Amino acid sequence: MLRIECPYCGPRDHDEFRYGGDASVIRPVHDDADFEAWYRYVFVRENPAGPHREYWQHVIGCRQWLVVGRDTRNHEIASVRSAREARA
Amino acid sequence: MADGSNMGGFEMAAYDCSILQFEGWDGAMAKFEVVLNRILGEPLPNKVGDTARHDDRLVIRIAPRRFWLLCDGPPPVIDVDAEFGCTLPLGEGRIRLRLSGRGLKQVLERCVAADWETLGDGRAIQTGLDHMPVLLLRRSGFECDLLVPRSLSKGLMDWIADASASDRYLTPSNGST
Amino acid sequence: MRRLHEGGRIDRSRPMEFIFDGKALAGYRGDTLASALLANGFGLVGRSFKYHRPRGIYSAGPEEPNALVTVGARGRREPNLPATTVELADGLVAESQNRWPSLKFDIQSVNGLFAPFLSAGFYYKTFMGPTRRAWMVYEHFIRNAAGLGRAGEEPDPDRYEVRNLFADVAVIGAGPAGLSAALAAGEAGAKVVLVEQDFLAGGTLLSEPADGEARAWLSVTLARLAHMPNVSMMTRTTAFGAYDSNVLGLVERHGSGTADPAKGEARQMVALLRAKTMVYATGSIERPLTFANNDRPGIMLASAARTYLNRFAVLAGTRVMVATDNDSAYSAAFDLAAAGAEVTIADGRAEPTHERLEQSRHWGIAVRRKSLISNALGRHAVRAVTLSEPGGTITLKCDLVVVSGGWSPTVHLTCHLGVRPVYREDIKDFVPGKLGAGQFVAGAVTGGFITAGAIEEGHRAGAEAAAFCGATKSVQPPFSLDLAEINAGPNGSHFVTSPRSGPLPHFVGGKDGSPARRPQDSLPTRSGERWFGNRKAELTKGKAFIDLQMDVTVSDVALAHREGYESVEHLKRYTTLGMGADQGKTSNVIAISAMAGLRGMAVPDVGTTTFRPPYTPVAVGALAGRSQRHLYKPFRRTPMHDWHVANGAQMLETGVWMRPSFYLASGRDVDQAYPAEMRMVREAAGLMDISTLGKIDVQGPDAAEFLDRVYVNGFAKLPIGRARYGIMLRDDGIVFDDGTTMRLSERHFFMTTSTAKAADVMSRLEFLLDTAWPGLRVSVTSVTDEWAAMSVAGPTSREILAAAFPDLNVSNEALPHMGFLEGRYRDKPLRIIRLSFSGERAYEIYTGASVGKEMWCRLIEAGTPFGQKPYGVEALGALRVEKGHVAGPEIDGRTTLDDLGLSRMAGKRSGYVGDVLGRREALSDPARPRLVGLRCLEPGKRLSGGAILFRPGERMHGHGLGRITSVTYSPTLDASVGLALIARNAAEEGAEIVAAYPMKGQTVRARIVSPIFLDPKGERLHG
Repeated sequence: MLRIECPYCGPRDHDEFRYGGDASVIRPVHDDADFEAWYRYVFVRENPAGPHREYWQHVIGCRQWLVVGRDTRNHEIASVRSAREARA
Repeated sequence: MADGSNMGGFEMAAYDCSILQFEGWDGAMAKFEVVLNRILGEPLPNKVGDTARHDDRLVIRIAPRRFWLLCDGPPPVIDVDAEFGCTLPLGEGRIRLRLSGRGLKQVLERCVAADWETLGDGRAIQTGLDHMPVLLLRRSGFECDLLVPRSLSKGLMDWIADASASDRYLTPSNGST
Repeated sequence: MRRLHEGGRIDRSRPMEFIFDGKALAGYRGDTLASALLANGFGLVGRSFKYHRPRGIYSAGPEEPNALVTVGARGRREPNLPATTVELADGLVAESQNRWPSLKFDIQSVNGLFAPFLSAGFYYKTFMGPTRRAWMVYEHFIRNAAGLGRAGEEPDPDRYEVRNLFADVAVIGAGPAGLSAALAAGEAGAKVVLVEQDFLAGGTLLSEPADGEARAWLSVTLARLAHMPNVSMMTRTTAFGAYDSNVLGLVERHGSGTADPAKGEARQMVALLRAKTMVYATGSIERPLTFANNDRPGIMLASAARTYLNRFAVLAGTRVMVATDNDSAYSAAFDLAAAGAEVTIADGRAEPTHERLEQSRHWGIAVRRKSLISNALGRHAVRAVTLSEPGGTITLKCDLVVVSGGWSPTVHLTCHLGVRPVYREDIKDFVPGKLGAGQFVAGAVTGGFITAGAIEEGHRAGAEAAAFCGATKSVQPPFSLDLAEINAGPNGSHFVTSPRSGPLPHFVGGKDGSPARRPQDSLPTRSGERWFGNRKAELTKGKAFIDLQMDVTVSDVALAHREGYESVEHLKRYTTLGMGADQGKTSNVIAISAMAGLRGMAVPDVGTTTFRPPYTPVAVGALAGRSQRHLYKPFRRTPMHDWHVANGAQMLETGVWMRPSFYLASGRDVDQAYPAEMRMVREAAGLMDISTLGKIDVQGPDAAEFLDRVYVNGFAKLPIGRARYGIMLRDDGIVFDDGTTMRLSERHFFMTTSTAKAADVMSRLEFLLDTAWPGLRVSVTSVTDEWAAMSVAGPTSREILAAAFPDLNVSNEALPHMGFLEGRYRDKPLRIIRLSFSGERAYEIYTGASVGKEMWCRLIEAGTPFGQKPYGVEALGALRVEKGHVAGPEIDGRTTLDDLGLSRMAGKRSGYVGDVLGRREALSDPARPRLVGLRCLEPGKRLSGGAILFRPGERMHGHGLGRITSVTYSPTLDASVGLALIARNAAEEGAEIVAAYPMKGQTVRARIVSPIFLDPKGERLHG
């Protein structure tokens, strides 16, 4: 089991969360017509063995989307921030 | 050593649950909270999970920009300036289960992954019960409210009743539902 | 074997009766099944896995490879329990396993004669490739012959629980290190949970002689712990798994025999303990020695013999051969001698330490140097051993052989965390690798086998763990146990003491618990060799087992090596070594050493196996806990659920919801009922519970803009009071979900989603707002549970609505198709939308969930005069097929708007989710699927969902041109019809096609038609 420290609700079991994929990819603005940009956003992933930024939603809690810094090798979580703040 | 043998006294009752939700816009929270203070009284709960009681109303901060006003009767009709935020009545979708008794802690540890001992009185947490979203509101060391989705209330009550089955003093009682 | 008249930790005032293989036997409270069997003279307690060799009790703990028994009867039957971990209870029923007709005479022990054929890789060699077919013939016999116990076939009557625990410090193991850690952490003010698998706390101290200081230390320590309210001790509790974020999986066993489910007692309870820090004080397990026939009953670990003697007051033999390569077995030898046994020590070393020899002399024990045990004689019980000595071999009589090959730290739990263990040459074994922050080890698991050191280490770890979580009250120095250790060598004593009179030896190890010098050892020290010293002997004298439970021998390992299965992972799979219920607790290190020796490599270069949870077996029931029977998973019930059940609805599990499949009033079974319900909707009216639809409240100044972005079709221009059907795409351009959204006001919308995708859509909307468009001032809230929803559909629906709501104007002008009305019902909100899924004129009525049932009854009452009855999801699904509406089977995560014939929805818009990638070139490939209708051409036959489509005459292979997604019988057309996805270049209306269903060997001819079978102009729903 993984425990994720929600910045609003405190440490919780990972089954309270929904995984949302890689948070390091940059989503094009909604009306960006650049095919390459969307292609990279949707399909191209680094898949690192090591630190990884990823989205998790505290779906059975405050429902906020979070950016979690997790090491893919040992599941150690270095940081958890709200996605809105991480973006700002 | 904690075990299931001392689950003396546990009660569960179900009630309707009237909620008015307030949500402020990102970037307008300061102004939104000023408006809310005027409507709901001061202070507003500061952190997610904090509560503030004003007369017979309880205000819970359930998300960084979201508050629930729990009232005993039907929710008041309150509008806020759309420039700051919005309101939404949620009076129909949840059931309030009141759990109480000396066996409460033992029942809860079979239901939710929440540390009852470190949760202060008057604190609320949103967590999963059988993987379903519930809001647990600690009223005292031996009493709490569980706000559960209406469609799941029967199933979750069955679950809680089963979890307290080693307590032969369980007395099911029904509230207004 | 006999029970001593005094001593031990059994309660002679509490005799207990139990049954083993049908025989009534007596034991005491405080016994394990193993100790009670030994006390009753049972040397032989089971047969081995493959060769059906007689086996006895080998250990005194969870590492037991041999003495597996089945406990309980009928539904409570539990196989493969080590007798060494079964707490004796009054009335306990146990039986031996893998023998027929009886333990003493087992027919299949002839397998031993066929042993050459049952060697490593037997299955692969015999039944793979050209001989694979033979498996079909022989499987039954082989499965019967090989194996362990048999599980019960009746339902398990017991109750199981799962609970959630929290602690600052979790201490695993209540031996000297763990007790000391718990004490220190408790004093520091931390909330401590101390976990012990045994039913008594004390660990190795329990095996110390009754008159020793260990007992005093233990009782004082336990008394101090008992007075600490912040420390809870969980005995009979195994930490079976260590997981990320300091989560421990614990399984608690019920204390007194059979748990009574009627009293709410759980037989086993899994607890998930979330700790801030962990102290692993898991101890160590003694390693066996490998020699010919080393599995004979009467051979056991030296520590086990000592435990049976000192803890259970059972003298396991009177003529004892102690075979060892280290000092720790000497304490067993001395205690056995003190109890009156005649003891001989065969020490593999040239020069056992002086103190040992002195003490041995004191006890009248002959010590044979450079003496290697090479064979055991006797079949059902050992009666002699052969020793290889410099002067030749010698055979000595005995009735008990105790062996010690050193100690293996119990590194299992730390391995669960992915921390690879590290090999230490001085102890010839593995210790935990570097652990993460907040994780501590103490005691024998660190490879230092000294009691005083363990106590100090435990104390330090406990205090540090407490400090790690902020508990920093001052802690007293450890309450020391000043035992005179026999030897401080890491290969020497394991917290052992020598309280007997005689020359007391000196503690020479590192005071801080660090390993001291390894005692002189004349055995070959190159890895592996010593385990293989007797290979030659095996060939002539009998099998030398490495893994007793899986019947893996030294020659199996050698064979694996010869055939190239050299890596530890291959070795394990090829020979099944370590794959038993004991996970090779006594065999893994020996096997790795053996392979290292064969390959001429150092042990760490050969590798280690990865231990995985569970450390010891856990009942599946305990993992499931309450999630079984009616609580197997949570169901959502609509506000009208009880009405449906009371009125003959056959309820169907659809995702998380329970929904009416059909009503018995319409027909006795589903095939009869659903066409009747369809006909009713087409000809009069039907009432349907649609509360399960996902409902989302969307509001805010930017709500319209938001919807414009998430739907392919525009919503900004949707007039207030009107609804619109909308489709959402995923970012990659594939269709995500569909639903209807209505505009309540300028800034306020009410969205519905499909039942199945409700949670996904909600989460996706929140994702977009939180991560992509945080600047949009929009609030989204799931209101699925707020509203009861029902749909009235059919030609008489308007009359029904008018009758039900006499105050509302529901005329075609006031409420046109996609129109919307708001009102109040019993002081609750009411929303009526005119929209259709079935193709008939239809209205959706939404009201507060608390009055849903009343509203439903009102509509039933209003509709009955107009021929309306309720209908279920079976008819609903069929009605939409007739109308060519896509649903889950078509929106399957692979189809695009174009595939579904819906590209007109997007028109020339852009800027919505999925827009750009939806225009990928590959998505306009002519081989992409296209939605079509199919009409069965063969009377009396039916189309089948999932059938594969081919051109007439085409060879049927591969994936064909496409597949049928949905089918129904259409009472209107009196034909079997369906929707299909077929390659565009074959989707020619009017063409004939063959639908093949290879699973049933069926083929049916059908014609491609428009997917809209009925009322293509939509006159019915607009009328």
